[in-house]
Amino acid sequence: VLRRLALLLVLQPAIAGAHELLHETRPGGAVAVRVYHPGGAPLADAAFEVAPPGGGPLLRGRTDRNGWLAFVPDAPGTWRVRVADGAGHGAEIPVEAGASASTPPPGGGPAWLLRPALGAAVVLLIFALLQRALRRRRA
Amino acid sequence: VHVPDGFLSPQITLPALGAAVPLWALAARRHFGPEALEAIPALGGLTAVAFALQTVAVPVPGGTSAHLVGAALLALHRGPLAAFACESLVLLLQALFFGTGGVTVLGVNALALGLLGPLAGWLAFLGLRRLSPRMAHFAAGWLALQVSALAVAGALALQHRLDPGYLPVPGGASLLSMMLPSLAVSGPAEALFTLAAMAVLRRARLDGAAA
Repeated sequence: VLRRLALLLVLQPAIAGAHELLHETRPGGAVAVRVYHPGGAPLADAAFEVAPPGGGPLLRGRTDRNGWLAFVPDAPGTWRVRVADGAGHGAEIPVEAGASASTPPPGGGPAWLLRPALGAAVVLLIFALLQRALRRRRA
Repeated sequence: VHVPDGFLSPQITLPALGAAVPLWALAARRHFGPEALEAIPALGGLTAVAFALQTVAVPVPGGTSAHLVGAALLALHRGPLAAFACESLVLLLQALFFGTGGVTVLGVNALALGLLGPLAGWLAFLGLRRLSPRMAHFAAGWLALQVSALAVAGALALQHRLDPGYLPVPGGASLLSMMLPSLAVSGPAEALFTLAAMAVLRRARLDGAAA
């Protein structure tokens, strides 16, 4: 019995470690989170959900083959990432989003005005050249 | 409303291009020869307006967007063949410089947006102008957009029928996503635009073929 208890004590960190998950985050415009086992093996194809500060999950998906997931925070504060696979492994990871995390303006800047103006100018130029050519031909 | 590059196979794009080329030649001879010199500035202005209208997409509930075409106005001004040529120029410039539509699908888009729609609008105008010119202008704008959207949806549905692997979207889904915004939003907007623009052209004595 003592030998069995001693074996259990020796192996206990490894058993507990199998249910522990580590992670690393790379904040920026988008936040990338990698989840992996203590031995370094990635938690691939595991379900995850992302919740904004004070809110319920708004993004669900599965990690890629290297254990990565990514999202773009659109509000500052602490976001929560929950990852779990079907074997009892899971983690809730807080991700801090800075004040720069804000909803981008719709339309992508002045392109909405430049495109029609530039296109209309090109059309007018083509018709002006056509008119000039026709006038010369008539003369 | 445009079909983007890669959505239709050569089985559809090549026959469409084959149908469009002789019509472009005919339109160039009829509407862009020396005798059309005086009409060129107004036609150019309306084509520029059509280009601008087509680049401004308005978000529509359901995750899609809609835009005006302006080709019905061109058809009412100088006839459906002139509208076909001008709309084709718009589509070509959009494909080459703005990444909208595409060169391989130019024939399909030109026939749908430049010919079938404006032709339907033109015929609606001819049928209704004795009852009320304003109603005829309104109906021409509305019908032109519906027929164009229907033609694009038809091309997408045909592609799915020919090869579902090439375009996995079923025909019914294409039809719904094209026709709902067209019937509810862009169609009425195009009708109002055509009505207002024709009133302006009449005051400026530039209403051309629809006078």
